[in-house]
Amino acid sequence: MQPVSPSKPNAARRPTEPRSEVSAAPRPRQRTSQRHAARVLGALLGGLLLLTLTSAAPGCKSPPKWEQGKRYFHYSARAKVGTFDPVRNSSSYDNLAQSQVYETLLEYEYLVRPYELRPLLLKEMPKESEDKLRYQFELKPGVRFHDDPCFSKQSWPFPEPRPDEPAGTGREVVAQDVIWSLMRMTDRANSPTGWWLYRDRIRGLDDFKARMDKRPVGAPFEWTAPIEGFQVTGRYTFEIALTTPFPQFLDVLAMGTSAVVPRECAEHYGPEFSSHPVGTGPFKLEEWVRGSFLRYTKNEKYHPSSYPDRAAPEFEARGLLADKGKQLPLLDGLVFHIFEQDQPMWLKFRVGDLDATQTPAEYHDLVFNPDHSLRSALADEGMGSFPLPLLDFIYRGFNMEDPIVGAMGPGFTPEQTARAKKLRQAISAALDTREINLAFYNDNNVLYDGPIPPGLSGHISDPPSPMRGLNLERAKRLLAEAGYPGGKGLPVLQLHTSRGSNSEEQGEMLIRQLGRVGIRIELQLSSFPELQDKLQRKKAQMFGLAWGADYPDAENFLQLFYGPNKTPGSNKFNYDNPEYNRLFEQARVMSPSPERDALYAKLRDMVIEDCPAIGSMARTRSYVWNQRVKNFMPSEVYHSWYKYIDVEPR
Amino acid sequence: MFAYVVRRLLGGIPIILGVTLITFLLLNVVGGDPALQMAGKSATEADIQALRAEYGLDKPLFYQYLDYLKQVVTLDFGRSFKTKEPVADMIRAQVGPSLSLTLPALIATSILAVSIGLIAASFRQRVLDRGLMALSVMGMSISFLVYIVVGQYALAFQLRAFQIHGYDSDLVGRWQYLILPIIVLVVVGLGYDTRFYRSVLVEEITRDHVTTAIAKGAAPVRVLTRHVLRNALIPIITRIMISLPFLVTGSLLLESFFGIPGLGAQLLDAIDSADFPVIRALTLLISVLFVVTTVLNDVLYAVVDPRVRLE
Repeated sequence: MQPVSPSKPNAARRPTEPRSEVSAAPRPRQRTSQRHAARVLGALLGGLLLLTLTSAAPGCKSPPKWEQGKRYFHYSARAKVGTFDPVRNSSSYDNLAQSQVYETLLEYEYLVRPYELRPLLLKEMPKESEDKLRYQFELKPGVRFHDDPCFSKQSWPFPEPRPDEPAGTGREVVAQDVIWSLMRMTDRANSPTGWWLYRDRIRGLDDFKARMDKRPVGAPFEWTAPIEGFQVTGRYTFEIALTTPFPQFLDVLAMGTSAVVPRECAEHYGPEFSSHPVGTGPFKLEEWVRGSFLRYTKNEKYHPSSYPDRAAPEFEARGLLADKGKQLPLLDGLVFHIFEQDQPMWLKFRVGDLDATQTPAEYHDLVFNPDHSLRSALADEGMGSFPLPLLDFIYRGFNMEDPIVGAMGPGFTPEQTARAKKLRQAISAALDTREINLAFYNDNNVLYDGPIPPGLSGHISDPPSPMRGLNLERAKRLLAEAGYPGGKGLPVLQLHTSRGSNSEEQGEMLIRQLGRVGIRIELQLSSFPELQDKLQRKKAQMFGLAWGADYPDAENFLQLFYGPNKTPGSNKFNYDNPEYNRLFEQARVMSPSPERDALYAKLRDMVIEDCPAIGSMARTRSYVWNQRVKNFMPSEVYHSWYKYIDVEPR
Repeated sequence: MFAYVVRRLLGGIPIILGVTLITFLLLNVVGGDPALQMAGKSATEADIQALRAEYGLDKPLFYQYLDYLKQVVTLDFGRSFKTKEPVADMIRAQVGPSLSLTLPALIATSILAVSIGLIAASFRQRVLDRGLMALSVMGMSISFLVYIVVGQYALAFQLRAFQIHGYDSDLVGRWQYLILPIIVLVVVGLGYDTRFYRSVLVEEITRDHVTTAIAKGAAPVRVLTRHVLRNALIPIITRIMISLPFLVTGSLLLESFFGIPGLGAQLLDAIDSADFPVIRALTLLISVLFVVTTVLNDVLYAVVDPRVRLE
């Protein structure tokens, strides 16, 4: 028997009470009952209020024990950190978190622009061979990994005996560590995300990876296998041989994914290595509450490394060299607070719980004057600000294999290709990026043509190319030339984008803008995995995406249009222009020079003319910090600069 | 009763199997390709295929489903595609923060809503009742987001009465971060619950046996607790039990605004990154809890109402 609801039999047994009964005035005993009920409620509410007030306010503002008297820097991170394993680094937030613990062979100068590399784990800059195919490296002696239980006699990975050190003492970094760290990139069990940076670059590494990929599940990784491109020549010295010249190779070695890790710790922790970092960096991870915060403490055994003595004149004028020569890190610790929403991030900064943050878009007008200078009330508080132009390429792209908007490739007639090109150019001319910038980015973005953002060789912003909108007359003319006068005969185009804070609103604006010349757009919003799936299957006719620089070189953006990188590679446009491919192959092996700049400009102009991507924008991030912070000079190209910051104790 | 409980729990198995099948099909049809997420932004087809092979995503769907069922039976959900951590460990770590937020809120909301409902029922059709109901409707009409944004701004930022955002892994230290989100959750739920309990209690308070008890001179406390509340327990229990399975998943908006590392945000993150093992485990957890609380609901009916017999 199923449970019986008592209300039904009751209802059946007893007819519904007359409504007059319900509204009848209470009798004396009922009044007593009401008074009692009111007292109960009053007591309850009072109790809850008292409990809330007593437990809320006191103690809220005193710093926690671990911070008392110490110099901790509190900063905001805008998204969750996924992993601490460098080879699986897949976002700038992973990079931010990892770069405090792990270190790379090279890093960027803190106060020099344009970006310049300098040795970090290396004793000096690597030596490049005449043919640019071989690099010689020498590590700084005496750099040690953080102390961790993973270092023991049993886990010692070298043939020679382990020095007589207590278990758990971090060992010295040697040349073999660099080779092993790069080899981890070839082990599919690590799900490496940075392998593409090394693919076809290092002699023998691709063959080794292919062999490792074919090994049976559970078979050990061949750490000692010889690889032609990796030669350990001494305790601290090693060489790397390339297949072809790769001028950006040293930039790749400065990326977080190329950080040096201790092999025995990666093996000891297995998959948990992604949450148990053991590096050589200036800070050690003390606590990680996923989705809430990361807390680091100073590495007391950090290798000799001092505050820089070189700075661009504008940075020197700001007094950023005051601490030159001081041993790093300057802080006792770091806390990255993770925010998914802008309001709490900004409010926490304003009450002083955060020392620095990015200014959220909706607070921009409260913080900055129309000329983007800091409002005087905030400047009077001692607040500092810095507008950081990002190496960003935000765009609307076309699938060049789509018969309407692309028509590029062997399956299409020259007429179809020409019509599609006119259509893309018409869309570009009808697109008003200024309006988008004003409405969604506080007029802070840099608008430009082509794929190379400001700050890199090959970038062009002025004068705007004739392809750039807004030019409605040109858009209408091109549309007519494409065979769609006033949009007649043109099917509704599908614009795919991932759901985000204002994706829908931006899409609506685009629909309105293109509607002015008769181009009809349908917005297809999906989750990011769904969008990726559509791009992978070449089902996204038009799409909105962005690309952030992996390293500060235009090659990183131009490769997005290189034919062999077509989907599932980084060329989501499936743009495959033989002339572009030929010039790109020529440029990619050239060292920085006016000749290479000229080639970059040619490649850029081909993209501007063919319009596989339109509406280029780069964001400007407005950083602000409070008066207890010193030496704050943010960068999003690399994230190891927190070691230069100093603060007053709270 | 034992046989009944066992029978009901066994009866829940087909429901759970159905949930696993629907979840599996939905994820594989519209969930995106996890190999693409893992492979990074510039992978080759070979890299993606290698990852599919590594994670068994290249097997026919039927075999993938069997693998999933094996995980369900062994309660070993493997590792997250994204973080590589054991899914069980992730859930264990995040269910605590979620419950720290939702459980006190449920208890406080229920006590307050029943009490206010009792007052309103006692004063039915009078100014106090109408005022309380008007407040309830007003409370229900305001968006959850408004409570969060205004609460955070006014109480935490302007008055500095609470922490704005954050969390402490220490059980005692975390309360300073949880009070404001709990208050918001209570205020949001209060309108709905008060109206519901008020209508339940009005029905009880106007019954003949209550009038008789009052006429016989029974003490007010006795009338309210023994004659009114006790008879209203069935709908109260039902409402509370329905909420229980969702307590573990926390509150996505609150977790997101207050930086509470709970399961709500985890679930959204898993959906965004096609982290199938985490989505499957959480969906299964909710469906199991649903079955268990339904059975528990029936058992509690029998406990509070002698007329209900579990056979």
